[in-house]
Amino acid sequence: MSQSPLSNSQPAIVVENLGKCYTRASTQKPRTFMEAALKGFRDMRPEAEFWALQDVSFSVAPGQMLGVLGHNGAGKSTLLQVVSGIVRPDRGAVQVAGRMGALLDIGAGFHPDLTGRENVLISAVVGGLTRREASAQFDSIVAFSELESFIDNPLRTYSTGMQMRLGFAVAIHTVPDVLLVDEFLSVGDLAFQSKCLDRIMQLKNNGCAIVLISHNADQVRTLCDQALWLQQGKAKAYGDPEVIADRYVGNMDLKAQGQELHSYSQEIRIENVYAAQETERRSIDSGTAVRFIIRYQSKQVFLNVIFSLNLCDEEGQIVFNTNTATRELMIPIWEGDGEVALVVDRLDLSGKHYYMNVGIYSPDWSKTYDYHWQRYPFEIHWTPEENSILHPPCHWEISKDDRWLPLTTKQTNEI
Amino acid sequence: MYQRSAFQRQSRQRQVIYYRDLLWSLVVRELKVLYKRSVLGVAWTLLNPLLQLLVFSIIFQQVLKAGEGIDNYISYAFSGLLIWGWTQSALFQATGLITGNRPLIRQPTFPVPILPIVTVTTGLIHFLLALPALAIIMAIDRITLNWTVLLFPLLLALQFILTLSFAYPLAALNVTFRDTQHTLGVILQLLFYLLPIFYTVQDKNIPEWLQTFYAWNPLVILIEAYRAILLNGQLPPTSGLLILAGIGAVLLPIGYRIFQRQSERFVEEV
Repeated sequence: MSQSPLSNSQPAIVVENLGKCYTRASTQKPRTFMEAALKGFRDMRPEAEFWALQDVSFSVAPGQMLGVLGHNGAGKSTLLQVVSGIVRPDRGAVQVAGRMGALLDIGAGFHPDLTGRENVLISAVVGGLTRREASAQFDSIVAFSELESFIDNPLRTYSTGMQMRLGFAVAIHTVPDVLLVDEFLSVGDLAFQSKCLDRIMQLKNNGCAIVLISHNADQVRTLCDQALWLQQGKAKAYGDPEVIADRYVGNMDLKAQGQELHSYSQEIRIENVYAAQETERRSIDSGTAVRFIIRYQSKQVFLNVIFSLNLCDEEGQIVFNTNTATRELMIPIWEGDGEVALVVDRLDLSGKHYYMNVGIYSPDWSKTYDYHWQRYPFEIHWTPEENSILHPPCHWEISKDDRWLPLTTKQTNEI
Repeated sequence: MYQRSAFQRQSRQRQVIYYRDLLWSLVVRELKVLYKRSVLGVAWTLLNPLLQLLVFSIIFQQVLKAGEGIDNYISYAFSGLLIWGWTQSALFQATGLITGNRPLIRQPTFPVPILPIVTVTTGLIHFLLALPALAIIMAIDRITLNWTVLLFPLLLALQFILTLSFAYPLAALNVTFRDTQHTLGVILQLLFYLLPIFYTVQDKNIPEWLQTFYAWNPLVILIEAYRAILLNGQLPPTSGLLILAGIGAVLLPIGYRIFQRQSERFVEEV
């Protein structure tokens, strides 16, 4: 990762043994003054305690980015709130040095009846700029949001996406020393997202310390200098983003496997799906033969059913899709356990994490017996760092004396 | 423990400029929002007290005969209406501030205690905007301003502090009890009748125990002081001003402390 000139100075954020406890009030707790007065101010004390964060420690140096991974309810947002100072910690200490900016509630202080222009100027001041600074940044903010032609229209005429863009543009122009980002890539279209990302990386390179919340492990892997994995309010792992992102993805798969979905008719149930190779490894080498095995359990006899299998990457993009109906196969099913397998002679996908998605249907597709989406992960192993979906067998040749000669590797090249 | 230190030491001067700009921006936002959708604009601020003046002066003066013995009754009533109107609307709006501004209080660097100040300042501006109307009514009543009017800013400051002292705890209370604003609305309505706006405390029909209430009510002292300098060209009793200053000096820190202590829980509860 890039070394910023400031990365050797003292950390911008230090969090030590942080704990945050929420109290759950009694269900009898009066919500209104009248009620409380009538009850003689009883039932006001909290009933149960719940630690949203426990013993969390980390530090972020200027110019560094920390990625926080975790499932919903793991305490990610609470962590951001405590670091930002809007919620008090109950244990431990938080020290933040410098001006803070946040992409938490984008568009704070926006009012639908005011124009885009008025909202930008107010919101920039709310975000920490003086009016003079806000005016100086105004053109740059509007240019970033790409809303020049709408800027004098009332905000209520904007689409949600436009409002988010404007809010993001303001937030990113407050030039903070410490930036807290909550799932920022949900803003706007892809082009705008990458623009936001560029701007965040620019702030980082200028020495801004950033905490990024994400449940996208790839994002943390590629953007961050360190990662923190929160589970039920505790730090499950803290350190190298590569390692932690991998562990997080692996854990997510295990968790998904444990879930039971009963939204399908379940006459036949998918028991397990796994990829088998000659060698007993969790990852599969690209370009080798793979056997995808589907274990099922049936409650009755069927003359014919359809099995479908597709492979998708972590973003849900399907890279391969096939089913038994297109090949006009008959698959009779008996009561009890069974297995079917799809044998792929060569799987020429590039190296990444993928999921096997499997469905079992009636012969006319009218009924779904069972369907499992993104429950069974596997990994394709492939060494070159090339951004590619496919990795078909290929080699390079060079033309010499009207003949094509294959190129050889450095080691074997004879001079 | 939460500690925030200025990394690149922000100058005190910038901090002062920033708070001034923030206050200004938020007040302007309030005013703009208020006038944006109404055709009448600023005139709207006047319409409400003028209509009240019309109705109440007829009822109090003609029906209840409460205006007897009061010089320049219309000026007397209108000044009372405007003074009380500021405090009444500021307190009512301040009560809903925290619950109604969720995005702002969740903004990390946002100084939440500025919100009640914004509301009271907005009320002050409405009050000032209505002054020309009061001047016209006073001119019709042939009242000439005395030099005592120079004390007007002092009274504004006292009323500002007094209103703010109550605005802080009320805003905090509404977070715990969401009906505070409704309850307050009723109380403010009752106070309107309990204050000498359309009648005078000198009225001989007022029983003695009620006189004590009036004598010790800071709002009565305040309204009377305004009328003394504006309508009668007299100095208000120094004791009254000292009482007001004293009450403000005691209540404002208490109210602010209550607000500060509760503010830790605002984000969690709103």
